[in-house]
Amino acid sequence: MKTFNNFTNTIQLHKTTFCRYTLVAPNKEVQLNFPQLLQLRQRINDLTQPFNLEEIIEKENFVLLFVADKQHLLYLDVTQLLDLKEEIICFFSSSKLVLI
Amino acid sequence: METIIRKQMIIHPEVMDLLNSQIALEMHASASYLAMASWCDQRELVNSKAFFYKQAEEEREHAMKIFEFVNDNGGAAVSPEVHNINNDFDDLRSVYETSLEQEINVTQSIFKVFKKARKEDDFVTEIFLQWFVTEQAEEEDKFRSLIDIFDLMEGMPLKMIDERLPKE
Repeated sequence: MKTFNNFTNTIQLHKTTFCRYTLVAPNKEVQLNFPQLLQLRQRINDLTQPFNLEEIIEKENFVLLFVADKQHLLYLDVTQLLDLKEEIICFFSSSKLVLI
Repeated sequence: METIIRKQMIIHPEVMDLLNSQIALEMHASASYLAMASWCDQRELVNSKAFFYKQAEEEREHAMKIFEFVNDNGGAAVSPEVHNINNDFDDLRSVYETSLEQEINVTQSIFKVFKKARKEDDFVTEIFLQWFVTEQAEEEDKFRSLIDIFDLMEGMPLKMIDERLPKE
């Protein structure tokens, strides 16, 4: 299993095989295929838009997020949400930048 | 592009995000042309209504072209929400002027995606977008010519102007 972020986040993303990925959250591990990973990226990008993030902070201060085609439900507080965003950015960025 | 997910998708993820925004913009333009077609249809401006119905279809085709491109190249195309469609217009000329402004916005947005693709060495998207650059130049030219007709026929009855406008 390969990890691509040098920093230790509360939530991590690993590549397990050619097209399988594992999302390691504090309470569970979720297996994702590539379309599910893209869906997660899209969702996290939406939630972390400044306007949406502000709304989350002002209201519950957490989000409930369905992942892997609604097979799993994640509870994420704002810190975890931002950690996951960072993890995803590393995953989708140039490996040359990440692996230094 | 050397990313972890390169084997899954050929287009750059950030370019994909901009392409999804472009899909939303094209669909917004389509809905906007539909509103213009309806305005013209209600006023029996037959040539203009046919023209805008056709424009609405064309914009949707553009959106679908990008939509399929994103999915065909390993990305995830997102079906957009369409808000804020203006259904009120002052007169026929303002309908065409709004259309030109809309086309200019679409062109600028295409340029933005094009530049990003070039910056990220996403050659596949860059080549794909070349057709859109040419298409947008043609679209802008079409609307400028139509607005010229209004200038040339200034003071003529609306129905007469409409009869001189093309249906597509």
